[in-house]
Amino acid sequence: MTAYVIRRMWQMIPTLAGVILLIFFLFNWVGGDPAQVLAGKISNPEQIANIRKQLGVDQPYWYQLWVFVQQVFTFDFGRSWSTNEEVSRILLTRVGPTLTIMVPVLLIETVLAVVFAIMVAYVRGSLTDRTIMVICTTAMSISFLVYIIFGQWLFGFILGWFPVQGWSESYWRNLTTYAPLPIMLAIFVGLAPQLRLYRSFFLEEINQDYVRTARAKGLPEKKVMMKHVLRNALIPILTNVGIYLPSVFVGSFLLEVFFSIPGLGREIVTAVNRSDFPVIKAVTVYLAMLTMIVNLLVDVMYKLVDPRVSFK
Amino acid sequence: MKRALTLALACLACALAAAGPAMGSVGPKVVRMAFRTAEAGFDPQRIFDRYSVGVCENLFEPLLTYDYLARPVRLVPLTAEAVPEPEEGGTRYTFRIRPGILFADDPAFKGQKRELVARDIEYSIKRFRDPRNASPYEWLFEHKVLGLDEFAAAAKKAGRPDYDAKVAGLEVRDRYTISIKLTEPDFNFLYILAMPNVVPVAREVIEAYGEDTMAHPVGTGPFVLKEWVRRSKIVLERNPNHRGYELDPRWADPADEFDRAAVEALRGKRLPLVDRVEIYPIEEEQPRFLAFVNREHDLLDETPSDFIEQVLPNGRLAPALARQGVSVFREEAPEITYDVFNVEDAVVGGYGPEKVALRRALVLAHDRGQEIFIVRKGQAMAAQSPLPPGIVGYDPAFRTTQQDHDPARAKALLDLYGYVDRNGDGWREQPDGRPLAIEYKYNAGSQSNRQLAELWVKSAAAIGVRMEAAAVQFIDLLNDKRVGKFQMAGSAWTADYPDAQNFLQLLYGPNTGQSNEARFRLDAFDRLYRQSVAVPDGPARNALYHEMNRLILAYAPWRLGVHRVFNHLQYPWVKGYKKHPILYTNFKYLDVDVAARKAAAR
Repeated sequence: MTAYVIRRMWQMIPTLAGVILLIFFLFNWVGGDPAQVLAGKISNPEQIANIRKQLGVDQPYWYQLWVFVQQVFTFDFGRSWSTNEEVSRILLTRVGPTLTIMVPVLLIETVLAVVFAIMVAYVRGSLTDRTIMVICTTAMSISFLVYIIFGQWLFGFILGWFPVQGWSESYWRNLTTYAPLPIMLAIFVGLAPQLRLYRSFFLEEINQDYVRTARAKGLPEKKVMMKHVLRNALIPILTNVGIYLPSVFVGSFLLEVFFSIPGLGREIVTAVNRSDFPVIKAVTVYLAMLTMIVNLLVDVMYKLVDPRVSFK
Repeated sequence: MKRALTLALACLACALAAAGPAMGSVGPKVVRMAFRTAEAGFDPQRIFDRYSVGVCENLFEPLLTYDYLARPVRLVPLTAEAVPEPEEGGTRYTFRIRPGILFADDPAFKGQKRELVARDIEYSIKRFRDPRNASPYEWLFEHKVLGLDEFAAAAKKAGRPDYDAKVAGLEVRDRYTISIKLTEPDFNFLYILAMPNVVPVAREVIEAYGEDTMAHPVGTGPFVLKEWVRRSKIVLERNPNHRGYELDPRWADPADEFDRAAVEALRGKRLPLVDRVEIYPIEEEQPRFLAFVNREHDLLDETPSDFIEQVLPNGRLAPALARQGVSVFREEAPEITYDVFNVEDAVVGGYGPEKVALRRALVLAHDRGQEIFIVRKGQAMAAQSPLPPGIVGYDPAFRTTQQDHDPARAKALLDLYGYVDRNGDGWREQPDGRPLAIEYKYNAGSQSNRQLAELWVKSAAAIGVRMEAAAVQFIDLLNDKRVGKFQMAGSAWTADYPDAQNFLQLLYGPNTGQSNEARFRLDAFDRLYRQSVAVPDGPARNALYHEMNRLILAYAPWRLGVHRVFNHLQYPWVKGYKKHPILYTNFKYLDVDVAARKAAAR
């Protein structure tokens, strides 16, 4: 297993190099000149050239790329071009609010989706199954933005169950006062597609020969479903959660903007709008690393879930 | 023992009373509001967005400012003892700073009280020309102060400025006196010294915080930055070192209900009255609006356009809001939106009669009524000249028919100059027979700009001119307009200071490649502009402005758009509110009736 992990980590290097090159060339080709924005209302070419010099974007491309590579390996992406704040500080201060929302969303949504999926898969073809599938299809066809706008208006303003928006310095206050509404809305949106997907995983397992054999041997249904079906369906579920996991750290831009949550998602979109390359670079590289590490962890967890899996 | 206890309780009561005179018995006076865009930071010489500058208005103090109530706006001294008279034909201005003005406490001062002195003004002006700051307002002091360009050139050469170097035009005469010598006459220079960016900072603070000056604003203003969660929350609290202000009611208009209310609420009181200001940047319109109607905020700056029908149905405040005592302040903003023709372009540019005719025909084709009704939701006034209301030089009686929606006139003009459909495809060609196709560039990230672009395409088609709308990223659009890579594009300008010069410089020939996006170079206009700069405010200068207006309308480098109208809402417990056309915030003039707010919450 150690050799497998080392081999996988070694493979991350070319992937990371690809990410670095992709971000670098995309930014330089389509990213726009940040000096145009930073120059203010009135500026002459000399001032714009001075800003480009301050930012280092007047350097040859190979040199800028070399600086980028150095930043990746020193984990020092410098300062934001638009606010002059240290990029590391931006990431550290914004990741907390994002995780406050997204971790509960991931946990609750996964648990609910698995529970409902196994239930409806068990009663496949029944009225309950069909009704839930219709609800899921309808829920999936509505835009996330509609959920947010309607939910904020209904639960925040009309019913007054939650504040319309806001965030505080207290973790518990955020978790108990400001986070519940965005978490609830994110679960509304995410639950339907997850439920449908996991249902299909369970149905595939229920139709396997080993399930029929277990039933023929007289195993109780509860044991068949919870021990055999659930365990075997966990592999694709883990894969799906693994794909979703890195986005937990990026957050939901819409939620963060509508509920005034000072998270990473909002920061990333602002950085893109302002051509704030240091922030874009840092977030993209960290996200790429995170995705690779999570994929590795998921692969390792396959072994724990299914002993037949071997590392080669 | 009993006596000692009584004495102790009495002392405690006195201490509590002394500690919170402004808080009274009902809690601190807090004003809460939202900004519609996130701030960038609070180093006054390094910022330009109105929200960051709006916060700086409360943390720093320029030499001069504007009277809160006077309309049209009126310059008054703030840290200066008086508004100076121009000397040496408008090329010299001498200021004496009021002694005893203190900066807010900061560790950079090492426990000492720090008084504002003339050297701070000198240092702050030099900071605009420090290449390391890349100041967005560097243009204010470019070719302006004697010796400052040389200071900037030397700084650029050395990579860092020598702040101890003498600049001939920044003459510090004594601890409190600075005399500024200009390179040429400028009778609007005092307006520059009233801008919230042109404020003194302390050199030791700037040097102590190095790259972090955006997060450590230390000024002499009535508030200090207590808490800042970037792009999420800005908290200001009263500056204990501040000397306090008093409202000057002399310029109040007795017929204006906001003036009367402000005078009644603030007369004779020591300002500021609020203890704390909480600002929340909220980009989305719905949460910003709901936060106000849910009473989470006390003020709503610029009612979002999506909610204007709910707030002002048929132009009157909605009954539900009126019942709560909400009042609306209608602001005709000192700004203009316009469409720029690239006068250097081979098709829409040029000064020949047929080129001018094409631009004027396009202007006449544009349906500005629809722009105001549909895109602006009725919250705009058709511009008659490049100058918005409230600006020195604005003539409310000035009317033009050259910007009317008149497709028949537009068609006649095009026919007259040979822009006719020669090949029968339904679209006009140029007089020499080449195809006539015009591209209108707009900011891809804005829905209203997309609507405006669609309106342009439709309006041009109505007179047989083929126009295509090209959505461009905001940054690329800025660059294209600066280098002249466009035919037509949308634009807007908000007053930096309340004089026509700030708007007319947008068409001054030497500003091509900078603020003159139209690349308009007309000798007659440039000559008038130079004359106007050297003339003090008065009928003679207004006559020059009038003539420049006439030339703009005649040559049509712009299609004049609108002056937008903003509706600001306040709950009744906010006292003293009045929106200033130039200054963005007014916290130092506000008061909060905490008891009334609590009662409303019940």
